[in-house]
Amino acid sequence: MNGHARSIPSSPRVWFQRVASLTVKELRQLYRDPILMLFILYAFTLDIYLAGSGVSLELKQARLFVQDHDRSTASRELIHRFRPPYFRFMGETADERGGIALLDRGEAMLVLDIPEHFEKRLLEDESADVLLLVDTTNSVLGFLASSYAAEIVSGYGMEVGMRRAGLGEDALERMPLIENQARVWFNPNQNNTWFMSLTELLNIITVLVVLLPAAALVREKERGTIEQLLVSPLSPFQIVLPKIAAMSAVILAGTALCLFSVLGAVFHLPFRGSLLFFFAVTALYVFTTAGLGVLAATFARNMAQVGMLTVLMVAPMLFLSGNWTPPEAMNRVMVFFMTLSPLHYFIDASFGILLKGAGLKLLWDDILAMALIGATVFGIGLWRFRRQFH
Amino acid sequence: MKWKRIFIVAQKEWREILRDRLFFTLAFVVPGVLMLLFGYGISLDVENLPFAVVDHDRSRLSRDYAYRFIESRYFDFKGYLDDERDVDPLLSDNVIRAAVIIPEHFEKRLLAGRPAAVQTLIDGTFPSRAQTTKSYVTAINNAVTMELVSRHLAEQDGKDMDRARKMLQPVGLQIRYLYNQSAKSIWSIAPSLLMVILMIAPPFLTAIGVVREKENGSIYNIYASTVSRGEFLIGKLAPYVIISTLNMTLLWVLAVQLYGAPFKGQLGFFLPASVLYLLCTTGIGLLISVFVRTQIAAIIVTVILTLVPAVLYSGFLIPIASLSGQAKITAHLIPAMYYTNIAVGSFLKGIGLEVLWGDLLVLAVYALIVFSAGFILFSKRPKA
Repeated sequence: MNGHARSIPSSPRVWFQRVASLTVKELRQLYRDPILMLFILYAFTLDIYLAGSGVSLELKQARLFVQDHDRSTASRELIHRFRPPYFRFMGETADERGGIALLDRGEAMLVLDIPEHFEKRLLEDESADVLLLVDTTNSVLGFLASSYAAEIVSGYGMEVGMRRAGLGEDALERMPLIENQARVWFNPNQNNTWFMSLTELLNIITVLVVLLPAAALVREKERGTIEQLLVSPLSPFQIVLPKIAAMSAVILAGTALCLFSVLGAVFHLPFRGSLLFFFAVTALYVFTTAGLGVLAATFARNMAQVGMLTVLMVAPMLFLSGNWTPPEAMNRVMVFFMTLSPLHYFIDASFGILLKGAGLKLLWDDILAMALIGATVFGIGLWRFRRQFH
Repeated sequence: MKWKRIFIVAQKEWREILRDRLFFTLAFVVPGVLMLLFGYGISLDVENLPFAVVDHDRSRLSRDYAYRFIESRYFDFKGYLDDERDVDPLLSDNVIRAAVIIPEHFEKRLLAGRPAAVQTLIDGTFPSRAQTTKSYVTAINNAVTMELVSRHLAEQDGKDMDRARKMLQPVGLQIRYLYNQSAKSIWSIAPSLLMVILMIAPPFLTAIGVVREKENGSIYNIYASTVSRGEFLIGKLAPYVIISTLNMTLLWVLAVQLYGAPFKGQLGFFLPASVLYLLCTTGIGLLISVFVRTQIAAIIVTVILTLVPAVLYSGFLIPIASLSGQAKITAHLIPAMYYTNIAVGSFLKGIGLEVLWGDLLVLAVYALIVFSAGFILFSKRPKA
């Protein structure tokens, strides 16, 4: 700023008026890019609906083919136990080569091989092995499939064993069995929809909150209109603030839209905690994380650069948020990066409030960390921005 | 169509990219960083799961039972809790993800030869992890039960324990893991990472490259020139295809050298197939650039249209078979799914053209369609 600009008296009322009129200008500019508006709308509604419906990370209807070399009552009984929801019996295959070919083409995930004399051996008090070929290109599902298969086979074996020992069905009542009832909390039906849609919403918020203010700032640089702003009686903070305020308003409106339409009305996400609290936390996150956009804008000279820089900043935030991969499964370097990501704390807080019903008492540390990181980045961004134009 | 004009357009574009040092560097840095990030940062293996135990019985057997979880490498013991009511806040605050609750009279019931119930509480926010956790719990619980029951039978009938166990477990299950013998997730992820990153980066570069000229107005030079739209598009996109091809090679080297992913297929098949895939994704970028006017819109549209489907609908995290309804349709509409088959097949399965020709054909047709659509929709005579 130059001396001339400072000489104009600036009361708080004028200060706010300036910020307000620039905020309106930003909103208007956004509104006049119809494709952009359309996609922001799409991101907060249909995109989250798509992510939440139809995607499941559970083992569901794993395709099973069988090579039954025994063709006995026992083998059929065992095969019959591999049923939905986890497995789906697709048919038989003649030999091992046929089985491998099915696996190669991805038509089968599992091939169960039951040897000859399976029933005979069981009747003769001997033991018999069956072989399961598992496609583990997706290691998680491969693991789940083999552990369910192990459960089925051992359950079947136990029954055969009991029968052979001459013990009836009620014998289990007289055995020292430990029954472990697993209860899944916060999401008893293991509804993937909630996890996926909420994750997607938080991701969309993060992408937009960095990209929109960064782009708004760089566009002024690229087109040279920043010169006009700089000769006006505005401080650097007054130039940055309206952009962040406008974009935050759009993002918060989008969040509200998503929350009440897709998450609430369609997916019936149980809002266990206070919605007001959630919005307060979101507002804090949006406002502070926008600082990253300001920072990116100070490094970039054109939109292409700012786009790449944003991807470079946002992608680590999205994937090291501790959501897909919790900290206990990451190595130490990644955990360190994760603790720097404001999204990590925002995710903790959001899932905590919306799904677990947590309040400020449990989440104060997350919110504090988020605010501190955000404020620091914001400060650096603003400092660099100020320095660039002095 | 004159090759000389195409060459000149490409040369101009290449020079422009080279002179923007930051952009040029980022064009290579971003895919590499994404590769490292996905490879080291994403692990779907469930290990070191923090858990706590509430032991109301405080007996030898209950301690033994808890110890089976404590010593497992899948669980990370955080301590005993006095009361069930302490579990909830710890689960809510992500301090623990599971809790095992052993009731009173646990030992008494078991020693009397009667069943006893134990409860496990699991954090269900991420259902896939909850499911895996559940299966660990079941496996450990079954192993303990099997021991108890065989000991019980052995004592009852005076047999030895091994025989009692064999009698209870007459059917053994042998499991052979195919394609990824140690069921390591980094192996299974590495080939898919190529697919994800090549789905994101090329359209991004292309869309920005074309829309940049539109927004800055420099495209009017092209509109007014003798360069035809076909010449312009080929020349304009060529540098981005070259950059993406280099990136693809870099990513392949990282996958094989850094992550040690086995490459069992033929490079002679894999490399051309990958370039074809690049052409498809570059074409998507071209299509986006036809529809948007501003670079910010280009960036956001590309991120939303490519990143989400690449991660969710490509068979990367979730196999296509377990997608339902419109997600499955989306999966078939993007080239990622077909390339996943090619990448996974070439890396892990060692299969080539003889099996994957169908996917290759789809990619070829796909590339043809997106480029023709881009060519038709791109106009040297814009209305506005």
